[in-house]
Amino acid sequence: MRLQGKTVVVTGAARGVGRACALAFSREGADLALLDVCGDVDGVPYPLGTVSQLDHTARLCREQGAAVLTATADVRDGAALRAAVDATLDRFGAVDVLVNNAGIVAPSGRTTHEITEDEWQVMLDINLSGAWRMISLVGPHMVARRSGSIVNVASTAGLVGYRHFAGYTASKHGLIGLTRATALDYAPLKVRVNALCPGSIRDDSAVEGRMLTEIARSLELPVGEHEQTFVQSQPMNALIEPEDVAGAALWLASDESRQVTGSVLTVDGGFTIR
Amino acid sequence: MSITHQDAAAARTPERAAAPAGAACHALRVRLTAGAAADGPDAVAARLTALTAGTGPSAGFPARLWTERVPCGADAPAARRWRDRELGRPLPVHRDAPVRAVLLQYADGATDLVVVADRAALDTTALHAFTARLLGAEQDTALTARTAATSPPAEPGPGGPVEQPDWGLGRPHGPDTPVTRVLPLPAGHPETDAESWATALGVVLARYEGVTRPALALLAPGTGAPGRPVVPAPVAADGGSTLGTVDKELRAALAAGPDGTATTAAVGLVLADRDLSAGLPGADHAEYRPFQQPPFPVTVTVTRDATGGRALRCDHSARTLSDAVADQLLRHVSQVHRTLAEAPDTLVADARPWDEEEAARLAAHRRSAPLPPFTPRRIDTAVAEIAAARPDAVAVRCEDTRLTYGELDRRADRLAHALRALGVGDRDRVGVCLERSAEMIVVLLAVLKAGATYVPMDPAYPEDRLAYTTSDAGLTTVLTDRADFPGGTDTRVLTPAALEDLAPERCDGPPPSAAGADDPAYVIYTSGSTGRPKGCVVPHVNVLSLMAATTGDFGLGADDTWTLFHSSAFDFSVWEIWGCLLTGGRLVVVPYWVSRSPEDFHRLLREERVTVLSQTPSAFAHLVEVERDGADPAPVRLVVFGGEGLDPRMLLPWFDRHPETACRVVNMYGITETTVHVTAQTVTRAEALTASKSVGHALPGWWVRVADPDGRPLPAGVAGEIYVGGAGVAAHYLNKPELTEQRFLTDVRTGERLYRSGDKGRLLPDGRLEHLGRLDSQVKLRGFRIELDEIRSVLLDDPQVTAAAVVLNRTDPDDAATAQLDAYVVMDGDDTASVRQRATRFLPEYMVPSTVTALERMPLTTNGKLDTRRLPRPAAAPAPAAPAAPAATPAAAQAESAAAQADTFEQVLLEVWREVLGVPVGPDDNFFDLGGNSLLAMRVGAALRRRGGHTVAMRDLYLRPTIRQLAADRAG
Repeated sequence: MRLQGKTVVVTGAARGVGRACALAFSREGADLALLDVCGDVDGVPYPLGTVSQLDHTARLCREQGAAVLTATADVRDGAALRAAVDATLDRFGAVDVLVNNAGIVAPSGRTTHEITEDEWQVMLDINLSGAWRMISLVGPHMVARRSGSIVNVASTAGLVGYRHFAGYTASKHGLIGLTRATALDYAPLKVRVNALCPGSIRDDSAVEGRMLTEIARSLELPVGEHEQTFVQSQPMNALIEPEDVAGAALWLASDESRQVTGSVLTVDGGFTIR
Repeated sequence: MSITHQDAAAARTPERAAAPAGAACHALRVRLTAGAAADGPDAVAARLTALTAGTGPSAGFPARLWTERVPCGADAPAARRWRDRELGRPLPVHRDAPVRAVLLQYADGATDLVVVADRAALDTTALHAFTARLLGAEQDTALTARTAATSPPAEPGPGGPVEQPDWGLGRPHGPDTPVTRVLPLPAGHPETDAESWATALGVVLARYEGVTRPALALLAPGTGAPGRPVVPAPVAADGGSTLGTVDKELRAALAAGPDGTATTAAVGLVLADRDLSAGLPGADHAEYRPFQQPPFPVTVTVTRDATGGRALRCDHSARTLSDAVADQLLRHVSQVHRTLAEAPDTLVADARPWDEEEAARLAAHRRSAPLPPFTPRRIDTAVAEIAAARPDAVAVRCEDTRLTYGELDRRADRLAHALRALGVGDRDRVGVCLERSAEMIVVLLAVLKAGATYVPMDPAYPEDRLAYTTSDAGLTTVLTDRADFPGGTDTRVLTPAALEDLAPERCDGPPPSAAGADDPAYVIYTSGSTGRPKGCVVPHVNVLSLMAATTGDFGLGADDTWTLFHSSAFDFSVWEIWGCLLTGGRLVVVPYWVSRSPEDFHRLLREERVTVLSQTPSAFAHLVEVERDGADPAPVRLVVFGGEGLDPRMLLPWFDRHPETACRVVNMYGITETTVHVTAQTVTRAEALTASKSVGHALPGWWVRVADPDGRPLPAGVAGEIYVGGAGVAAHYLNKPELTEQRFLTDVRTGERLYRSGDKGRLLPDGRLEHLGRLDSQVKLRGFRIELDEIRSVLLDDPQVTAAAVVLNRTDPDDAATAQLDAYVVMDGDDTASVRQRATRFLPEYMVPSTVTALERMPLTTNGKLDTRRLPRPAAAPAPAAPAAPAATPAAAQAESAAAQADTFEQVLLEVWREVLGVPVGPDDNFFDLGGNSLLAMRVGAALRRRGGHTVAMRDLYLRPTIRQLAADRAG
């Protein structure tokens, strides 16, 4: 097993890519600390993960043999994050992998100058600052052990612009910048930091993802039409499955990628080729 | 802006955490009875809170009880993994939490309590008491809060690098995989306390390491202060003590407590043979893990499982021990422990570490297949049979000469009669001091046909050595072309031509002789590391045995063409000459000047379509180079290495051009005293890539044994002296009864003769032998024991380096302080500094050569082995201009640039000779009179090539040894 004896922290683990990652890691022998906001956030126009969904993820992981710790924590809440990380260390003794997966896709769908101050703040605070907060809590521990892998789940929006998604695009570009700078800081200390850039992910019912639906809603498009547009823009003519992203995250988490740091790995069916 | 201050960033970051916590922690698992489990987690959690957060002596680290719902029953196979994971889960670094308690609640209702603790805060007793309190026991616990003052360095060996055992047969360049091997002890194994096991391990280590006080580390969680869990245990296990005495000493040392010295012992014992289930209320059974990460490179633990069964366990890295050696270590410790318990009066020397079964297996391993049947007879008789069967087959080729088996046989018959006419009789010794030639083969065969014994001498040997051999061997007749042969009055010295004149015109077969297969065929003089050369007497039957042992496996036969490359005074030639002629092959004699020129030798291999090539590795390296420079591959089908140790990595470029399916490469270990060869290892790319030192199994009919200085056999992996027995053991040393008695022994048990080689080796678990050089190749430098071969091996790992030698020199012979290690390498390019720099990464400082000198080629002895006496002065040594300056010195470079301006062939030659010979040179000076030799001739060739001008063929130099002659020849 590729992650035997390792402990992985996943944020945004209640559903979607976070759940897919947790399942992939538990299959490979990891123990897990699963974090999620488990509740709605002011200014985010769609329902976020729930306690029930997080517990479901945990149950699926235990069935695959993982010891699991769950914690409700908003990545904007430093104190809650600290309590969750401390509990993780007490329970498991170490954190080997951090997957910064928590993120939102809306409020979006407006021209840049129409974005309100609050909309801008909540997008940046969750998607970019949330990752930084987790790194600042887990990083010192990894550095002390001279070992660790941090995977930041960004987006193709971290590499190219999307019309009417300025806040989201800025946050994901920022996350890639955070990845690169932290990778440099941590490289001599044997802690690796990499970014994943998924393309458009299918809203898989098993992991209860809903991103594509929310993007379509932001753009006021029927979901089917919107899906079709994305399929055509990805040269492999298919949407990305959540486990495709989890597979890439697993590789970045494992020792197989031990010389990989500061990299930006696209899982986008070729979307960014042209 | 540039943000690349990596070092500054590193400096600002928090301190690295001390040791990995796993070695400092231990763990206890308790299966709760149904009644205790019914209490539920809340009761345990409440006691935990009370124990760790309350007031009083047990307070200080509030802990939380973790519960884990395990999705399977306690007996399901997956449950084991849950338990192991929990027992092995370390405490966090940088969080002051000395204990963790977890309840595993299985799907079938069973419950385990797992407590992990820092050993410094809770020793074994305290961990047991703490767990008892969690389960509701009323007594107080020994739990104390951890403070800085009692927080110890829990890792062993803060004093320096921990040595790796050299008997481990691990794969030092392989993956650093943790390995656990377990030996369950039989039910009847004696019950003793844990300390007896330490004694047993100490005695076994003493045997393995050939010392009386092996370094042994102990981790005794239940003994001593919790702050000092590691004590070195000095065990005086000399052969004269009894096991019981050693055991008493060890206990005294343990009672005295740690002596404060940091242990660097590679092997340690964990004393954990305690039953911790007792005294735990509500406990069904308990399982104790004395450590989470093994505290020593090789950690031996005595364990007791939940059902009371005992086992020995060894934890180590795959780099340190092979599985076979780890299993063997556990078996040996168990066996000695049994002896200690049952017969403590047994002397250490008599305490056999193996049982009967293993002894039988060892014996089977070192005994090879039986020798295939053959008719014992004289060498010349066997050759005559081939001559009778195939008289027209070519037997010997030498330049323009060609002898068929019929011609060879008839000519040798005639010369044998001539020898008889001179008074040579059966078993007389006849000196043969001839250059390699067809004639020499005839003479050797003639001596045998006369019933006599040949004593080969190299014509290049100095006069006093020839005189010594002549007198020591009592030679009354010497055949030589050397006019100045120091014969003396009692010796008849004549040329082969003069002998020919005495021969009858015709004869009908060889002269009658009473000598038989067991009579000596030859006496070859070998030089030891000390004293004068000694004559080794080898009977005919040994040579026939050697061919019986190898002919089938190597497929030797009439279709083969062999080379005679080596001097007849070197026993490798016995293999070449008689190996060929006893199997009906065609023997191509390699003239001296061709043997010294790799290019010409390679051409000969192709032109003569040689199939069986015998070489020393040093000489073969030159051939590999020739092919690397572009020569077409030689059509050889079998390469036999002998004469010196082979580093198979040099063969990789050879395999690139000669796949193993087309050419078999066999590394043979051998000694003159055991008739050329002893073992054979077919070398493949796999062996070459792992730098295997294996020389293989003994030949059928031969056997090898590795023994300690007292002659006791050693187990696999442990290095000792190689003893050889079987069909190849020579008769004796000539005129040296005492030396014969020391080296040629008789096995008291079997009555078999065996030879004590003085070579260092070890057996691998599969019975193959590793040859590790001479026992005396170990040198001492400023008190450090150094294996020169080890340094050489590191140099050879450098991809730039193709050959390497290391010598211990003194710049002032009378001053030991000036001793230094000097390395010589043949390399691509001339960046010797980088070679040395790389060596510093792999060798301790005292083993790094002071100088590294690049050579065009390694100088070889006439036998083709490395000639350390002819190595030039080291490149960087503060010495006067060296007469034979190495190629890469500034002086040589200067000379090169001067010579670049010389515009005639003669001037270039004058420059080069001056540079190479280090003396003034005139156009009529003879190269060899000025001190030139084959090595310097090679260097002349190399210097000419570097100048890009005309080169001089080796043969031309021998034929026209002055510059004027060479120039005239070129002009003509």
